[in-house]
Amino acid sequence: MNTTVAQLTARALLGGRRALLLLVMSAVLLALAVLLRLSVGVDHQVTADFLGAVALGALIPLFGLIVGTGVIGPEIDDGSVVYVLSKPISRPTIILSKLVVAVAATVLFAAVPTFVAGLIMSGTEAGLAVGFGAAALVASVAYSAVFVLLAVVTRHAVVYGLAYALIWEGLVGGYVPGARTLSIQQWSLSLAETIVERDLVSSDVRLAVAGVLLAVVIVGATWYAGQRLRVLSLAGEE
Amino acid sequence: MSQQQPAGVIHDIGYRGYDGPRLGRGAVARALYVHSLRGAFGLGRSARAKVLPMLLLGVMCLPAFIIAVIANATSSVLTELPLPYSRYAVVAQGILTIFLAAQAPQAVSRDLRFKTVPLYFSRPLERSDYVLAKFAGLSTAMFLLLAAPLLIMYIGALLAEFPAGRETTDVALALVGAVAFAIVFAGVGLVIASLTARRGFGVAAIITVFALSFAAISSLQGIIRYVEDDATLAGWLGLFSPITLVDGFQTWVLDASSSAVAPPPGSAGGVGYVLVTFGVIGACWALLNLRYRKVSS
Amino acid sequence: MPVIQTEELTKRFPAVTALDRLTIDVEPGVVGLVGANGAGKSTLIKILLGLSEATSGQARMLGLDVTTDGPKIRERVGYMPEHDCLPGDVSATEFVVHMARMSGLPADAARERTADTLRHVGLYEERYRPIGGYSTGMKQRVKLAQALVHDPEIVLLDEPTNGLDPVGRDDMLALIRRIYTDFGITVLVTSHLLGELERISDHVVVIDAGRLLRSSSTSEFTRTSQFVAVEVTAEPDTVAGQLKAAGLDVVRDGHLMVVPLEDESVYDIVRDTVAQVGVGLIRLEQRRHHIAEVFGERGSQ
Repeated sequence: MNTTVAQLTARALLGGRRALLLLVMSAVLLALAVLLRLSVGVDHQVTADFLGAVALGALIPLFGLIVGTGVIGPEIDDGSVVYVLSKPISRPTIILSKLVVAVAATVLFAAVPTFVAGLIMSGTEAGLAVGFGAAALVASVAYSAVFVLLAVVTRHAVVYGLAYALIWEGLVGGYVPGARTLSIQQWSLSLAETIVERDLVSSDVRLAVAGVLLAVVIVGATWYAGQRLRVLSLAGEE
Repeated sequence: MSQQQPAGVIHDIGYRGYDGPRLGRGAVARALYVHSLRGAFGLGRSARAKVLPMLLLGVMCLPAFIIAVIANATSSVLTELPLPYSRYAVVAQGILTIFLAAQAPQAVSRDLRFKTVPLYFSRPLERSDYVLAKFAGLSTAMFLLLAAPLLIMYIGALLAEFPAGRETTDVALALVGAVAFAIVFAGVGLVIASLTARRGFGVAAIITVFALSFAAISSLQGIIRYVEDDATLAGWLGLFSPITLVDGFQTWVLDASSSAVAPPPGSAGGVGYVLVTFGVIGACWALLNLRYRKVSS
Repeated sequence: MPVIQTEELTKRFPAVTALDRLTIDVEPGVVGLVGANGAGKSTLIKILLGLSEATSGQARMLGLDVTTDGPKIRERVGYMPEHDCLPGDVSATEFVVHMARMSGLPADAARERTADTLRHVGLYEERYRPIGGYSTGMKQRVKLAQALVHDPEIVLLDEPTNGLDPVGRDDMLALIRRIYTDFGITVLVTSHLLGELERISDHVVVIDAGRLLRSSSTSEFTRTSQFVAVEVTAEPDTVAGQLKAAGLDVVRDGHLMVVPLEDESVYDIVRDTVAQVGVGLIRLEQRRHHIAEVFGERGSQ
């Protein structure tokens, strides 16, 4: 991992409108948590449903998308990635450095607020905050890796990533039971299920299976992204 | 010819002036409108640009097709469509949002990114004409995206010999609702897209605003309504996300069946929804005009 | 009738004054607008097109006021911006057709004129490929084509030779000259390169820091003086002495010798003298004024 690349990526990612959007999203999550705590009081099922649907179901994937594509997409788009590619740094190292930044940003802006939201809504009871925080953490890493890969493979990473998140995980996952085994959301939910007590969370995937699949996806996506960066071509549009 | 002279040398064919008609602002704006509408579906551009919009159109129509087939296959048992026309927009909002997120930047961010805008404004096209053409073009595209599946369902219903009068009224009302969805979506999408020249970021920002607001608001509405048993507050919350806003609008104004967790609370709520809907459209128009007033290079 | 007229035109930004009470009159022809980077050339063009608003003063194009008759002016004007302004994923033909329609041409006329105009600027088979893959020279031609396609009365070209290699530059300058002489369209060209504007303009306007330095016809600027400059490889003093002996007034100007040109025989005398002395003759040319001298004059004002 190369610290200079990481620093430059971090500065580019967190300057300007992108960082603003991320902050607003985290703030919205926390504001909603506060609102619910004030209006509903402490109801663990509500917490589990809210965090499952809004945090794991919408916020984390969107975050992973914005951050994962944001660490390398704009550079490829305007061609300034040549500056990094022509340095004596191996392509996998470049990917890894950028991934570290993506994971750090997602953890900071999404996983930690999820944990805090859990604390706000249910305190430390029932392992909800810890459970969903851990699930958010794992999902963040997985989504970041997948979307960094997508950004290297195609210029339209954001749209295809959305198609995956919305159509696959939302629509198909809802109607085709088998598909749920292949959903990052379900894998992280199974982790939450294990940590959270009292049957508040249910997932269709067993923890062992989820763990293996998560590891495969994270490692595989990172490795493949490094390979694809080797043969990246910059000419023309579309 | 090209062997005798080096490439790039001007041929002396003789210049012909142009004496033909020069169409005014209206015709130019209309041409830009058609250009934007076609561009939203990838027509007039490279083959790869057509893939995504056409794919989304297909995915959008597929459930409608299935519904029409089911209606015909089970017409002995069913007396109406399994899914009411007016609920289709909310059910298929994922596709709508992706289409908007992909094509709104296509409409405006490209011109900003490549700095083509001064070329437009140094022609007999006013800035508000440009905004109107782009807004109308994208709204029409979104409307077509919604109208196609509705028409498929309507044809299926007629073939299944459901009461023609009732079906026609329902589909007509749903189409009016589709207009509202189209304009609100296009407006919000264009405002967000016009704020950035980077297409990728525009896409992500649009998706975030629509998907996150819907997820957050529905979840909140669900909790407030069923846990707190406060349907009124839940109803008011629906103003804060574009999808639930227009759904509420069509529920109250067109008597559509609601897909939201909580419909507009009473008459006050209904009027509120109508005002906010028109307010949002007006605000988008104003913001877009403001944004393009500042472009000078 | 002047095609461009400004009166006390001023444009102030918070930090800098881009145009300072500029008053010019431009007749039909090729007009060169010269100035260093940041002198206000692009600002003037933007104000004339209505893309930007002046702080004070008046401007008229083709007899129409820029602030009140903007749309009418824009029907008859073509603009070639300095910066990159072409989308990368459409072909030149598609782009210029679209721009022609945006200028008010009906669809068929747009297609016809696009084909003609692209031929005139020198784009052949390339016109069907996406613009993203073009070289700089080809891109400049596309920019020029979209400015000409609707047969305007006047075109404003902002630094059209930017980024071109010497051959490309010559081609572009020749094309610009033909736009007036063959197509009959008045041209306003900006550049910070003085030499090229000398070659093709009928009239030159020089501005510096938003102020008008000089505005006159090119022939006035660069009229030949009645002097001949001589430069030799060695022994200039000997040569000068010999020339004086032959009856010519010699004035030394650095390594040059300047001799008044009374008649054609002066050339022969110089050639024979130099050959007699036995040194090489590097230069024997008529002295011409150069636009650069105008900037020198400013220093002395």
